[in-house]
Amino acid sequence: MNFPLLTLSLLLASTLLASAEISHSVVRVNSTLQGYSSSQPWEKTSPRKRRGLGTLLSGSRVLTTSQMVADNIYLELESADSSETVPAKVIAVDYDANLALIAPIADAGFLSKMTPASLGSPAKSGDDLTILQLENNGSSQETQGIIRSMELLSTFVSGRYFLCYEVKASMQTEGNSFTLPAFRKGKLIGLLTSYNAKDQICDILSVDILSAFLEDAENGSYEGFPSLGVGFSTTEDPYFREWLKIPSGEGGLYINRVLPKSSAGLAGITKGDVLLSIDGNKIDRKGYYQHPLYGTLYWTHLVKGSRKMGESVAAIILRDGEVQDLQMTLQRPAESLIERYLFDKAPPYLIKGGLVFQELSLPYLKAFGKDWATRAPMNLLDVLSNPEDYEGGLRRIVVLTRVIPTDATIGYERMSNQIVKAVNGQPITDLAELNETLAKHPANGLHEIETDDIPYRIYLDQTLANRVDQQFKASGLPSLSRIHPVK
Amino acid sequence: MRPALLPVILALLPSISSSQLLDPAPLSEAPPVTLYDSVVRIEVATQTPDYSTPWNSGRFGGGIGTGFLIGQNRFLTNAHVVSDSRRVLITKRGSSQKHPARVLHIAHDCDLALLEVENFEPFSRLPQLQFGGMPRLESEVSAIGYPVGGDRLSVTRGIVSRIDFRPYSHSRADSHLVIQIDAAINPGNSGGPVIQNDKVVGVAFQGLTQADNTGYIIPMPVVGRFLKDVADGRYDHYMDLGLNTFPLFNPAMRQAFDLKPDGKGVLVARVVPGSQCEGIIKREDILLTIDGHKIDSAGNIKVGGEFLDMNEVVERKFAGDIITLSFLREGKKMTAEITLEAFPASRIYAMKYGVNPRFTVYAGLVFQPLDFNLFATYKFDDRKLRQLYDDYLSKGTFKERKDIVVLTRVESDQLTSHLSGFAGMVVEKVNGKAIKSLKEIHELLHQDDPPEFITIEFAGGSRPLVIPSAEAAAAHPRIMQQVGISREAVLD
Repeated sequence: MNFPLLTLSLLLASTLLASAEISHSVVRVNSTLQGYSSSQPWEKTSPRKRRGLGTLLSGSRVLTTSQMVADNIYLELESADSSETVPAKVIAVDYDANLALIAPIADAGFLSKMTPASLGSPAKSGDDLTILQLENNGSSQETQGIIRSMELLSTFVSGRYFLCYEVKASMQTEGNSFTLPAFRKGKLIGLLTSYNAKDQICDILSVDILSAFLEDAENGSYEGFPSLGVGFSTTEDPYFREWLKIPSGEGGLYINRVLPKSSAGLAGITKGDVLLSIDGNKIDRKGYYQHPLYGTLYWTHLVKGSRKMGESVAAIILRDGEVQDLQMTLQRPAESLIERYLFDKAPPYLIKGGLVFQELSLPYLKAFGKDWATRAPMNLLDVLSNPEDYEGGLRRIVVLTRVIPTDATIGYERMSNQIVKAVNGQPITDLAELNETLAKHPANGLHEIETDDIPYRIYLDQTLANRVDQQFKASGLPSLSRIHPVK
Repeated sequence: MRPALLPVILALLPSISSSQLLDPAPLSEAPPVTLYDSVVRIEVATQTPDYSTPWNSGRFGGGIGTGFLIGQNRFLTNAHVVSDSRRVLITKRGSSQKHPARVLHIAHDCDLALLEVENFEPFSRLPQLQFGGMPRLESEVSAIGYPVGGDRLSVTRGIVSRIDFRPYSHSRADSHLVIQIDAAINPGNSGGPVIQNDKVVGVAFQGLTQADNTGYIIPMPVVGRFLKDVADGRYDHYMDLGLNTFPLFNPAMRQAFDLKPDGKGVLVARVVPGSQCEGIIKREDILLTIDGHKIDSAGNIKVGGEFLDMNEVVERKFAGDIITLSFLREGKKMTAEITLEAFPASRIYAMKYGVNPRFTVYAGLVFQPLDFNLFATYKFDDRKLRQLYDDYLSKGTFKERKDIVVLTRVESDQLTSHLSGFAGMVVEKVNGKAIKSLKEIHELLHQDDPPEFITIEFAGGSRPLVIPSAEAAAAHPRIMQQVGISREAVLD
């Protein structure tokens, strides 16, 4: 099992010689993180502190992982010897790739005395590298490791895979080490995201991903990594291959889902196609290809990690047994109906007379606990499984998540997690629209709210609801709504 | 949360042999015949089907329970005492002779059964127990039976502490009136009479796992209904209107439906498709009376000073009975008569007993229709499957789709080595044809002139399952033999 490096104990069995050059570019990154409650989105959860390391790059920028900055309310850089600190801000962040670029807000003397690091050239299996830690007294500690293999791993947000090194190294699990830089030949080559002390294996985000991220962030508007926007199945089953008429020399992935307005969708790839190769790289039946330098890699690196937004890639597909060539222009799939994460974003909500409305998001579903995938309400899980059934014209799924007992909600107390279909006859496509609709005076003073479950339609007395809302305000509820403007 | 109720499962426990031996008491004169003599011990040998290997004979087991004589060769007991029985033996009090018996009627939804013995002669001089009424709260009752801990009759006294509508755990899907007493009902007590003033006021049937000294008994209204239902030689089940209601407490709700704030009338929130009310009652009708009883805004009625759920009127009815509903529709007062009938589709959510599990096996792929028993066996977590199960009744899926067919198992073979990931998914189509029943998939898999490939599509599946027909036909007998599958299908 992998876990982030956390403070365990300070065991100084041996002290390695500090290398002056690389430790000169390493700073401490301290953050205070605080997200929002899923069930009471007007409230914040208790703050947590996280300490890690960052690497100074040119232009007073510091590279670290995104898990250091997700939901941060305060961020600072600290000198290695802990004598000086400076507040910092995020310049660019990619939660999928788990990278963040931060910069000091004020002048920091200690930073100007440091030496910015530069990125190393790509490494491969068998190469050695040096992982750097800082001890409490400011001295650096180096651990040598060997890249055992190169793999696509998700290091922060689940289901998002990026090229990483798996490194065998025997490290001391020190404090303050949520993120550790790795160097090779004096240059930054990766960021360590987790260390398994039992097997002594580290996961280190590769320099390939670091450099793609930095290049994208260079112009100040960060776009992110492209993806094809397809769902796929492997083709190891010989009978399935026979049925798909895949020639014996080919591998191939069976495409079972294509997101609309995605790289693949716009290029005409459809469900049932078999993806044989990308840019001349043959994809095998399990989804791997042969990288000239790195060896066997999972195919998604051909797009996410190797190529940039807007670039054109050549794909070969098999459709009804016929080989076809396609050109795809790479992009990110359109924003999905359900947000995968809400880092740095206060979740929108609306309270009206005691009815609490929220937009459906993955964090909301995950708040149903460890077994959320089976325990969360079935109607909400279905949106996650089959978003295409709901997409027609909707931007978000608005959910009546709960009912606070008030004078206006008598008899509705047991309603929860119902999808809102329409209000006052107007279909509801997101929370902003719901807000606008509820702000208007309804025909007979009653708001009519239609949902997907019993009793399918309820009414709310506008005057009474407004009075209840005033009581909520008086009783200390900071705000009755948080609406993000419609994009 | 509702407490876990367990039926008092019969148990064959070794009799306790460590009791201290006393000098034998002098034999008394033949005791007078009392009503206790009419309480009999029931010994049952069971055979419970195994839904995970439906072709097998199932588990053999057995246990003891209690019954009592209520008429000419009629013994009343719990359904769970004699469910899945292969052999039923009845023993008189103070005798060791075992009399073969058989189940005449069994009602799993109210956990009652009626038995008869092959030769009634030995029982013919026993008194038939008489039925009483509802015991009062705080009054004392005695549960008579053969609970664990000994072979002889046992009497347990308790006080009636509550009369309530509660789940009957035998079927896992039904709730009826229940009397709670402050005495433990132990395994073996099940089916025994509960007596007050020499009259039966209920049948002991279940205990509570989280609390000591709590027992539940089936009261006379439920027992009486069962006996009346089977009087025509057939058990027809409880009736159901098939309506979901929603309380009309909210003033805005009442205003929207133009109702006075008088606390009357309940909203129809859903009419279950295929139920007797479909086409007669509509969603958003407001029910005002049921058989002349006024319905309040929570869906309750008052009968003889007692406050009851309106469904209790339906509880006491039988197949073919008529219920009269008056209701408001768009402000107009209307009346309808509903002829009650049993609603078999709703039993998908009830535990089944005494039936052979249906299945079909082809080329190592085991298909079974989704029901409560299957769900209890496999604990499915596929989202589409769970949703189809949920919607089967409420969305009326059953009307066009008799069975939700699940690929439950993939037996190991060279043919199926890449197919195990499909287990636990619902079959949508075979060879492009939508599957609506187990029989249909059985026939499609065994068709005389099959296409080159058999393709099976699953609900929410990431790809179709594909096997060449010729290889599948060759593998079918091989896998049956390897896995020891004795039958390839039970379709009815």
